Amino acid sequence: MQTNPPPPRRTRSTLQRYGIALLSVAAAFVSTLCLQHLFPYPFLFLFFGAVMVSAWFGGTAAGLVAVLISTVVVDYFFVPPFYSFSISATSEAYFGAFIACALVASWISSSKKKSEEALKETRDQLEIRVSERTAELMKTQADLAHLSQVMSMGELAASIAHEISQPLTAVVAHGHACVEWLSASPPNVEKARQTADRIIQDGTQAGTVVSRIRALFKKETPAKSWFYMNEVIHQLTLFLRDEAMRRHITIQTDLASGLPRIMADRIQLQQVILNLAMNGMDAMAETTEDPKELVIRSRQEGEAMVVQVEDCGIGLNPETAEKMFDPFFTTKPHGTGMGLSISRSIVESHEGRLSALPRPSGGAIFQFTLPIHSHEFND
Amino acid sequence: MTDLRPTIFVIDDDASVRDAVSNLLESVGLHVQVFKSTEAFQNASRPDVPGCLILDIRLPGMNGLEFQETLEKAGVEIPIIFITAHGDVPMTSRAMKAGAIEFLMKPFQKEDLLAAIHHGIDRDRLRREEQAEISVLRSRFEALTSREREVMDLVVAGLTNKEVAARLGISEVTIKMHRGQVTRKMEADSLPGLVRMADKLKLRNRR
Repeated sequence: MQTNPPPPRRTRSTLQRYGIALLSVAAAFVSTLCLQHLFPYPFLFLFFGAVMVSAWFGGTAAGLVAVLISTVVVDYFFVPPFYSFSISATSEAYFGAFIACALVASWISSSKKKSEEALKETRDQLEIRVSERTAELMKTQADLAHLSQVMSMGELAASIAHEISQPLTAVVAHGHACVEWLSASPPNVEKARQTADRIIQDGTQAGTVVSRIRALFKKETPAKSWFYMNEVIHQLTLFLRDEAMRRHITIQTDLASGLPRIMADRIQLQQVILNLAMNGMDAMAETTEDPKELVIRSRQEGEAMVVQVEDCGIGLNPETAEKMFDPFFTTKPHGTGMGLSISRSIVESHEGRLSALPRPSGGAIFQFTLPIHSHEFND
Repeated sequence: MTDLRPTIFVIDDDASVRDAVSNLLESVGLHVQVFKSTEAFQNASRPDVPGCLILDIRLPGMNGLEFQETLEKAGVEIPIIFITAHGDVPMTSRAMKAGAIEFLMKPFQKEDLLAAIHHGIDRDRLRREEQAEISVLRSRFEALTSREREVMDLVVAGLTNKEVAARLGISEVTIKMHRGQVTRKMEADSLPGLVRMADKLKLRNRR
């Protein structure tokens, strides 16, 4: 995450800045000349205005230049004896006060301007940071929304099973009924015919459900993009932190730095890692191992990237290890038996391999490999 | 009056399943009443005949298990056969513990359903007969005088006439007379018969 440079501030050239000083003093001079006859004493306040304007728009140096020019102009034109640079004794104090006031005006103006600008800059930077953070959060939120869809995949499977089994149940029951109506003596052909009609209706209904589900999944064409696997893992650990905490499990990561980007379906691989992590956490539910730790590792092995999810749970049962990746195989009371099967097909569609091995000190390691395509074009 | 035609009640929110189950049961000559919700079942006037309830576990609003509890609390004693699309082990054991007859997975086979139904009807019939018997016994018991009830209590507790007389502070002859009255009014044929009746009325557990 890099911070954008603040927008370029408008800077004035040296010439412009001193020009401002010269012009504002000139304006003050002309105005003072015009107003001179209205006042019984030299009316010099407009020069303070000129100094302040110069210091504000031109900076400290321009302010001081304005003070200098004003001093010269005032001395020559407005301090007796007039039209001379000499100063009468009576005017000395008055003229000294003028210079002091002009200097103070210049200093106040330029420092006020400076603090205002510093404030503005801070505000700008803050705004940039806020907008960056917002963008980041929105992205995370979108990812989470998708993940929560993934989490409910088990529920989706259950609901599909229900949808299909309803008409199927009806078909079977009607089928039995049809046989009964025909076996009666005398056979009730009319009832049997009506029942057969219902079988056709319910069978068609089951077919509709199936094609609706097929349409639902068709939309999900794999969207491949370049991304860093470590980023995905990092995001997932953030996402899983609460759940893990609830189960008194800590999630550790051991991610190799400098892994190249890979070209893959980010969301699908997120699903795979999420699934492995959830399985790992489930496996630790019944162990008394302390601390309960789930470790996610990434590294490069030749032309392949390896991601491992390691738990210290109940480990692999050699009897079920082979069936583990089969659809509908589950050892959990509420499992659909689809997690590992879907995960394996995702990894294989990326030309990778998903496998499981026992962890030497107890627990299990699930790992998948993905090929690293060396022809990555750097943008 | 004792052997009315049994009725099978079916609650399922899915019309196709409801129709199919009802068609199947009618085809084997059973009498069926279908309901699309638990509310419809509760609000309907149901015949007072032996029967059982086929209940889908997945229902909108209250699920099948919760409805089982509701019925129990309301004192509706009807054997329940659950049907479900996805076998959930904890759910099954909970339902069975709460007295369900059977837990059938969709799609179920005719034989399994009919076996469960017959089991349910038998159980309901037995319960009804027992209840009828108890209510007869209760009315007989209520016809006893309070002295006769006292005597019956002590006699079925295993006390001899002499002991009963001592306990109640009256003569043994009077006890014999009361005892004869009790046996006659309760229509008991023997002392063991009277004890069985007391058991059914749960008299013996009172003390």
